[in-house]
Amino acid sequence: MPAGRVLGVIVIALLFAALFNSEAIVRAGDSMQPGPTRDIVLSVARPLDDVAGAVGLHLPREGLDLAFGQEDKTGEGTELEKGSTAILRPNRRKPEQQSFVQPTPADPVEVFVTGDSQAEFIGQLLTDELPDDLFDVEVAARNATGLTNPEFFNWEINAQQEIAARAPDAVVMVIGGNDGFNVLVGDQLYGWGDPEWLTEYARRAAVVMRTLSSEGERPVYWVPPPTARDSEQNAIYETQNRAVEDAAAAVPGARYVDIFNTINDGEYSDELRIDGDRVLARQSDGIHFTREGAEVPVRLILREIAKDYEALASP
Amino acid sequence: MPAVSFPTIEFAVFFVIVFVLSWALMPHPRAWRPFILIASYVFYGWVDWRWVLLLVASSLVNTVAAQVIARTPSQQTRKRALIAAIVFDLGLLCVFKYLSFFVSEMDDALNSIGLGSPLPLVQVVLPIGISFFTFQAISYVVDVYRKETRAASLGDVAILQAFFPHLVAGPIVRANELLPQLRTPRDPREVLAGPGLFLIAGGLVKKTVIADELARNVVDPVFNDPGAHSGLEVLLAIYGFAAQIYCDFSGYTDMAIGTALLLGFVLPQNFNRPYLATSLQDFWRRWHMTLSRWLRDYLYIPLGGNRDGPRRTYRNLMLTMLLGGLWHGAAWTFVIWGGIHGGALSAERWARERWQGFHLPTWAAWFITFHVVCLAWVFFRSPDLSTAFGMLGQVTAGGPSPLVTLPMVFLTVAAIAVQAVPTRFWERGEAWLVSRPVAAQGVALGLLIVAADAAVGQEGVAPFIYFQF
Repeated sequence: MPAGRVLGVIVIALLFAALFNSEAIVRAGDSMQPGPTRDIVLSVARPLDDVAGAVGLHLPREGLDLAFGQEDKTGEGTELEKGSTAILRPNRRKPEQQSFVQPTPADPVEVFVTGDSQAEFIGQLLTDELPDDLFDVEVAARNATGLTNPEFFNWEINAQQEIAARAPDAVVMVIGGNDGFNVLVGDQLYGWGDPEWLTEYARRAAVVMRTLSSEGERPVYWVPPPTARDSEQNAIYETQNRAVEDAAAAVPGARYVDIFNTINDGEYSDELRIDGDRVLARQSDGIHFTREGAEVPVRLILREIAKDYEALASP
Repeated sequence: MPAVSFPTIEFAVFFVIVFVLSWALMPHPRAWRPFILIASYVFYGWVDWRWVLLLVASSLVNTVAAQVIARTPSQQTRKRALIAAIVFDLGLLCVFKYLSFFVSEMDDALNSIGLGSPLPLVQVVLPIGISFFTFQAISYVVDVYRKETRAASLGDVAILQAFFPHLVAGPIVRANELLPQLRTPRDPREVLAGPGLFLIAGGLVKKTVIADELARNVVDPVFNDPGAHSGLEVLLAIYGFAAQIYCDFSGYTDMAIGTALLLGFVLPQNFNRPYLATSLQDFWRRWHMTLSRWLRDYLYIPLGGNRDGPRRTYRNLMLTMLLGGLWHGAAWTFVIWGGIHGGALSAERWARERWQGFHLPTWAAWFITFHVVCLAWVFFRSPDLSTAFGMLGQVTAGGPSPLVTLPMVFLTVAAIAVQAVPTRFWERGEAWLVSRPVAAQGVALGLLIVAADAAVGQEGVAPFIYFQF
C-alpha cells in the first residue's frame, strides 16, 4: 500500500478515536505533568470535547465503559474541586477520644488500604502483619492519582464509590506522591509554595477524609508521602504533610500518620535500619519504598491503628 | 518512565510526525539518517534526556571497537578491542542493573560473618531498555569480530541501537538484519500496511483487553497476598500470569514490529505461538526468540554448546539459562526461573538420549511443557521467594473463590487457546483489512482504539512488564 494511503488510515483512525474518546483525552491531558505537552493536549482536546459532547459523541464511549464495568471517577460540582474551608475550622474539631467496635474472630475488622502507587507494598505488608483472625485487609491502589488533579481522578467520588461498595471498618489512605499541581481557588491559581495552596490541599484532604470516615464512623489513617531524594519534591511533600496534619486535626475519625518527619529524622536515605539490619528501603525513583523498606512506614501505621484497636496494643 | 510508550497520546502524535517526515526524507539518506536518529533519541529521552547520553556513549564505544577489530590485522589487537567493548557493555549493565543487588548481598554476607555492614546501600536508577541495547551492542561487535557483518559507521551503529520501534523492549535486532535495510531506501509505494496495522491493532488488544484486565482482577491481587486466596484463585492467577505476560510482551513486540513495518523496516519475529510448544526446547524456539538466539549464539555455543559430551552440555544449558534469568533482573526469583528452565532443558535432553525412540503422546508433552513453564512463571512474577513458595503451597487450599469469574477464566483460556488458530486465518484477516477503503480501515482502527481505552479505564495502560528489564 502506498505510504500516502497508510497515512490516510492512521489519520482517520486517530481523528475517529479523538472524537469518540474526547473525554478520555482531556483526562489524559489533565493527568500529565505541567508543561508544554500538557498545554498542547488540553488546548486541542477541550474544544474537541465540547463539540463532541454537544453532538452526543460521548454516548458510544459511555456505553463501552458500562460494558467493561468502568465507573466514572470524575465529575463536576464536587466539594473536592470547589468548597468552603469551613471544614477546617476549629468549631468542627473532633472529640478528643473516639472509640470503635473492637474486632473478634467472629467479626473481624475490615481494613481497606487505598491511595496511590505507594499504597501497593504498604497494603501488602499490612495484609501480612495484621492478625488474620481479627483483621481482613483489602488493597486497591490507584496509580498516578492525587488530590490536586480531580479532573483526572476525583478522590471524593472514588471514596464515595469505594465506601458504598466495601463498607470497611477502617481505612488506610496512602497518598500524595503525585500531588504537585497548581490548584484553582476561586479564579486564582496557586502553586505549592503559596500559603493558599497549603490551605486548599488541607481542605481537599479534609473532604476526602470526611467521605472515607463517613463523618467519624470509622477511623481513617492518612499517610502523606515520606521524604524524597529530590529537594523540590521533598519540599512539596513537607508542605503536604503540614496540610494533612491540619486537616486530620479537624475531621472526626481522621488520624495523621507522620512518616515524613519520623523516618530517619526527616532525612532522605536510600537505606534504613529495621531491627538493626540495614535494608535498601527506597526504589530508584527516590520516592517509593521497596517492599522490604515499606516495613518502616507500616510499623508507624500499625502503631496508629493500635491506638484504636486494643488487640494490637503491646502487652 | 524515560521513554514514550506506544499506547499513549504522545506516541500517536510523535508517530504521525515521524511517519510523514521519514517517508518524505527516505529518498535522501543523508537527511533521513540524522532525522531517524534524532527522532529515536527524542522518543528515548522524552522524560529524561540524560539517558540519551548513555545510549550515545554505548554507540560510540562499540563503533570504535568494531572499527579497530575490522581494520587491524593483528589478532591480539582485535581480541583486545572485542574484550574492551564487552567489558564496557557488561560494565554498564553491572553498574545500572546489578550494583544495588550485589552490594546488598555482599553487605549481608559480611554482616553474617561478623564484619559489620561496611558498604553503603544505594539505589541506582535503571535506564529503560538498557538490557536490550546492551545485548544488541555486544552482538554487533562480536559479529564484526567473527566477520559475520561489516563494521558500520557511527551513524549506522547509532541507528541500529536506537531505532525507536525496538529500542525499549526489543526485539533484539542483529546488525545484519537492520543495517542492510538502512543502506537501501525503502519503497514508499510498497508499505506493508496490512501486517503493520494488524500487528499494532492486535498488540493493543492483547495489552489492554487481556494483559491489563488479568493483572488487575486476578494476578496482582493473588500474587500480592497468596495466603488470603483459595487454591482455585491461585491456580487461575498462575495460568492468568502465563496469559498476561504473553499478551503484555508479545503485544508490545507486535506493536514494535508493526510500527517498524509502517516505516518500511522488517524486524525479526519474537514470538511464535509459544504455548503450543511440546518441549522446553520447542518453547525456547517460540518464546522471546531474539533473546533465546542471542543466548544460543553468544553464550551457549561459545561455552561449548553440545560439543563436549552430555555433562558439559547440561552444564552449558544450565549456565545459559541462569544467566538468561539474571538478564531479567538481579533477584533470586529470576535465578530460580532460569534454573527451572535450565534444569528442565537438561532433563529433557537426558530423557531423549536415555529412551531413544520413545515419544510421549503430543497432548502429554504439551501438558508437561506448559506446566513446567507455568511453574517457572510463579518465581518470575513473585516479588520474593517466600511469595513464590506461598503461591505453590496455597494451590491445594480450599475456601471461597470470588476472583474466579467467567470473564477472567475466559480471557485466560482465550489468550492461550488463540495460539492454536492457524496463521492463515490471521493472514486472511490482514488481506481483508487492506482490501477495504481507506476510510473503512481508519474507522475500524479508530473503533478499536476507543474500545481498548475503555477497557483499561481511567487509570490508563499499565507499564509493559518488559520495560523494567
